[in-house]
Amino acid sequence: MSVATTRRGAQRGRVPLAVIALLAGLALLAALPYLLGTYWQQLGFRALQLFTLAVAWNLLAGYAGQVSLGTGAFVGLGAYAFALLGNATGAPLPLLLLAAGAVAALFAIIVSPGLFRLRGLYFTIGSLALAEALRILMVNLSTFGGASGIVLQASTPPFYALYWLALVVALVAGGIVVALLHSPASLALRAVRDDEDVARQMGVRSFRVKLGAFALAAFLTGVAGGLQALKLGAIEPYGAFGMAWTIDTVAVVIIGGIATRGGPLLGTLLYVALGELLRDLPELHNAIGGLFLLLVIRLAPQGVWGLVTGRWAQRPGLAERADG
Amino acid sequence: MRPLNQCLGIAASVLLLAACQPKTANTSGGGGEIVIGATIPLSGALASFGSFQKWGYEHAVAEVNAAGGISIDGVQRRVRLIIRDDKTDANVASSNVDTLISADHANALLGSCTPPLVIAASLAAERNATPMVSGCAPLVSFRGAKQWTWAWDLFFNDPDLAAAPFRTLQDLQVTTNRRIAILHDNSADGAVVGGKLWPELAAQHGYQVVANVEFPVDTTDFGASVQQARTSGADIVLVDTVTPPMVSIRKQMAAAGFTPKVLVMEKGAEPAQFAEAVGTLADGVMVGGYWDPSFEFPGAAELGAAFTNETGRSVSQHIADSYTAARVLLDAIAAAGSLDRQKINGAIAATNRVYPVGPVKFGDNHAAPLDIAELQWRDGTPRVVWPVARKTADFLFPVPARN
Amino acid sequence: MHLPDGLTLLQAVVSGLLIGGLFALAALGLSLVVGVVRIVNLMHGELVLLGAYVAYGLVQATGLNALLVAPLAALAVALLGWPIERFVLQPVVRHGEEAPLLTTFALSVIIQNLLVFLLGADTRSIDSGYGATRLQLGGVSVPMMYLVGFVVALIVCACVHLLITRTAFGRRIRASAENPGDAAVVGVPVRRLYALTFMLAAGVAGLGGALLGMVFSFTPSSGVEYLLTGFTVVVLGGLGSVVGTLVGGLALGLVESFAAAFLGDGYRLFVGLVAFLVFLALRPAGLFGRRA
Repeated sequence: MSVATTRRGAQRGRVPLAVIALLAGLALLAALPYLLGTYWQQLGFRALQLFTLAVAWNLLAGYAGQVSLGTGAFVGLGAYAFALLGNATGAPLPLLLLAAGAVAALFAIIVSPGLFRLRGLYFTIGSLALAEALRILMVNLSTFGGASGIVLQASTPPFYALYWLALVVALVAGGIVVALLHSPASLALRAVRDDEDVARQMGVRSFRVKLGAFALAAFLTGVAGGLQALKLGAIEPYGAFGMAWTIDTVAVVIIGGIATRGGPLLGTLLYVALGELLRDLPELHNAIGGLFLLLVIRLAPQGVWGLVTGRWAQRPGLAERADG
Repeated sequence: MRPLNQCLGIAASVLLLAACQPKTANTSGGGGEIVIGATIPLSGALASFGSFQKWGYEHAVAEVNAAGGISIDGVQRRVRLIIRDDKTDANVASSNVDTLISADHANALLGSCTPPLVIAASLAAERNATPMVSGCAPLVSFRGAKQWTWAWDLFFNDPDLAAAPFRTLQDLQVTTNRRIAILHDNSADGAVVGGKLWPELAAQHGYQVVANVEFPVDTTDFGASVQQARTSGADIVLVDTVTPPMVSIRKQMAAAGFTPKVLVMEKGAEPAQFAEAVGTLADGVMVGGYWDPSFEFPGAAELGAAFTNETGRSVSQHIADSYTAARVLLDAIAAAGSLDRQKINGAIAATNRVYPVGPVKFGDNHAAPLDIAELQWRDGTPRVVWPVARKTADFLFPVPARN
Repeated sequence: MHLPDGLTLLQAVVSGLLIGGLFALAALGLSLVVGVVRIVNLMHGELVLLGAYVAYGLVQATGLNALLVAPLAALAVALLGWPIERFVLQPVVRHGEEAPLLTTFALSVIIQNLLVFLLGADTRSIDSGYGATRLQLGGVSVPMMYLVGFVVALIVCACVHLLITRTAFGRRIRASAENPGDAAVVGVPVRRLYALTFMLAAGVAGLGGALLGMVFSFTPSSGVEYLLTGFTVVVLGGLGSVVGTLVGGLALGLVESFAAAFLGDGYRLFVGLVAFLVFLALRPAGLFGRRA
C-alpha cells in the first residue's frame, strides 16, 4: 500500500482510508436517487440546501467573526433574482444559480460600507434590521410582484434533478470554504475575528477581509435561495425573505459547532433528523431547536462537534476559538 | 470524558437512524383504502376559511364512506382523508403536497384557499403528476398562473365578483354621491379586484374613484389608509383583503368616526369569525358570495342544515365549495373506477353535474366558474340581497353608524 | 406616493404622538436591559408580545375591562423575567459578548414557537370597550384608545423615571450601569440588581404589550416588529434615560405616521428601520451611550 501525502496528512497510512471513505460517501450521495425514493430525495435536498447556508454562515460568523442575522435577505434576493432572470431570459439553470448568487453578493458589497461601520453586536442588530427592511420593501413593491410574488415560467424539474443540483451546490460551497480556510487568507480572517483593531495595526485590511467574507457568504446563500425558487416554482416575499432561514441557519451552525470544520455538517444532520422526527409538529421542532441552541451556548460552546471530538468547552468566549 | 463522548456519539447516531424512517404512521397506503390528501389553512390569517374547508371535505368523505365507499377495480374501498395544516404559508402548502404524496401515499389531492396557497400547492401537484381539486381560489389568478395539467379549481370569476356590488346598487336603485374609495391588499386577488377590476367597473357604471389605497396583508395600523378614505368624501367604500386586517380596518374606521353609506368588504368579511370579532359593526357590511342554503341547487339546504346541526355556528359559503370540490374528486375516482392518476384526471375533466354549490363544468384552463350573489351582514347572519330573485332580506342602507 | 392635505398632516401629527407614547413604553424595558444589564435582548419583542397574550387571555377568561387586566399582565411577564435573567442569561455572560445575544435569540425562537404550538397562529386583538369611541377636535379625530394608551404610557414612564432618579434602588441601578465593578466593591448586590432590573424591564414591556394589543392586532410573529421598534426608539432617543426613551418614542411615532401619510401604511415600519440604520451608523457613542 503506497503512502500518499496530502496537505492534511500528518498521519501517514490513515490518509488513504479517509480519502477512500470520502469518495465512497460522495458516490453514495450521488447515487441516492437510484437507491431511495422521492421522500429521501426531498429530505436530501433540504439537508444539502441547509448545509450550504450553514457553511456560508459559519464562514462569516465563525471564522470572520461577523455574526449576521440577515440570512433571510440573501436567500430572498437569490430566489427573486433566479425567478426574474429565469422568466426574462430562460437561461440554463447553472447560469441562473450563479446569477442568483451574484445578485446577493452584489447587494452585500453595496451595503458593506454602511453596514461595517457597525461593529460587533451593532452589526448583528443592524443585519437583522436590514433584512426586515428589505422584506417589507419587497412586500410593498408591486414591481416585483408585491405580496403575490412571482411564478416561474419554466416547469420545475423532477426531484432527483433538484437533489443533484443541490448536491453540486453543497459540494462546491464546502469546497470553496475549505480551500479558503487552507489559504493564507484564513490567517487574515482569524486576525480580524479575534481583534479587529489589533489586526488593523498589524497591517491587515480589515474592511476588505470582512467584505470578502460577507460577499462570499452572501453569494453561497443567494445560490441556496435560487435553489428554493426552482423547487417551489413560485416565490413570494414572506417566505423568501422570512426569518425562518436565519433561525434555521444559526441554530444548525451553533448546535453543530461554530467555527469548526465538522460543525455545519453535523448540525445539519442533527437538525434535519430532529425535523423529521417531529415532522407533524414543526413548531415543536423549532422550539426544541431553540432549546438545544440555548443548551449548546451554555454548556458546549464548541457545539456537538466539539463534544464528539473531545474538545470540551473551556474557552472563555464564542468569539475566541481555535478551528476544529 | 471519552466514554461520555462515545455515548453521545452513539446517541446521536441512534437519533439519526431512528429518524430515518419515512413516516407511515398515519397512512395505510396499499391496505385497501383510497387516500385523499388535503392541505388547508387551519391556522394563520386564513384559519377562518380553513375551518369551513375542513368541515366540507370531511363531510363529503363521511358521506361517501357511509354509502359504502368507492368501487375500485370491482372492490369497494373506503376513503381516508388526511389533512395537513399549511398555516397560511405558501411554502408549507407546497411541502405539504410533497409530504402527502411521498409519505402519506395520497392518490389524489384537495386544495387550500386563496391564490397564493392554491397556486403553490397546485404547482407541487403538477410536479408530482397528481390530480388536485381546489375550491377556494378566484379564477383569474388561477388561470393566469400556468397552463394546468393536473390542477383544477372551482370558484367565481374575479370580474363577476368585482361587478356584483355595482350591479346590486344599480338593480336596487341605491342613491349615493357616486364617489368610491378603494382599499385593497397587494395579494394576487386583492390587486386584481381592487387595483384593476373595481376602477374599471367604476368608470363603466359612472362612478368616480376618489381614493385607491394599497397595503400589505400583514398591516396592523391603518391610520393613514382610513384617513385617506375619510377625507376623500366617498359615500361608498370598497375593501378587499383577508379577515384579520379586515377586522382591524372595520374597527379603526369606527374609531376614526368614519361610516360610509355603503361598505363592501370582500373576502375577509365573509366568514362568521369576522362578525364575531367586530360585533354590531358588521351590520350593513356587504360581501360578495356564491352560495346560501336557500339556493335551489340539489343538496344545498341539507348541507346548510347539517352544518348548523353539527357545529352550532352560522353557515359559511365555504362549506359548499369545499364539499363540492371533494365530491367532484370522489365522483371522478368513482367514474374512473381506478386509482390510476391519468384516469382520475380524465374523469375530473369530464365533470358536468349540478352540485350543492351549483353547476360544475371545467372550462378554459381547468377553471369552473360559480354564479355570484351579494350578501349583507345583519344581526350576525349573512343575508342574500342580490340578485333580487334569490334574496332573503331587504337591503340595509345606509350602514348604521355605531358609537 | 400621494400628497396629503393639511388636515391629514395634522391628523398624522396627533396620531403619531399618541402612538409614540405607546412605542416609548414598549421600548422602555429594552432601554433598561441594554443600558443597565448590558445585554442586547433579542427576546424583548416576545416579552412585549407575552404581555399582549396574557392580557388577552385574562380578558377572555374573566371578562374584566382590559385596562384593569393590563397591570396583571405586566406582573405575569415580570415574574417570568426573573428566572430568565437569573438562570438563563447570567450564566452565559462569561462566554463573551455574543453568547447572551444568541441566548436571547434562542429564547425568542422558543417563545414564538411555543405560542404557535399552544395557542395557534391566529391573529388576535384585545377588546377594549373603547374600540369605537373617539374625541373629535375639529377635523382631527382622536381615537379614545390611543389617548388612553398615551396617558398610561406617560404615567408609567414618569413612575419609572422617579424610581430611577429618586429612590435608593434607582441609585444602585445607576451605579451598576455606570460601573459594575466599583458598585460591587461598594457593596451593591449587582447580580441581584440585574435580575430585579430585568424583572422591571419585563414588566414594563408586558404592560406595553397589553396596551398595544388593545390598539392593534397581534400574532405570535409580531415580536420582531416590537423588537425593532424598541431598538429604533432606543437609538433615536439615546440610552440611559427615561426621558430619552420617551422622546425617541414620540419621534418614531411621528416618523412612522408621516411615512404612512406620504407612502402608505405599509411603509411605516420600513421607514422606521431606515431611520434606525442611519442613526445606528451615525451615532458615535453607539447604543451604549457614554460607555462604548
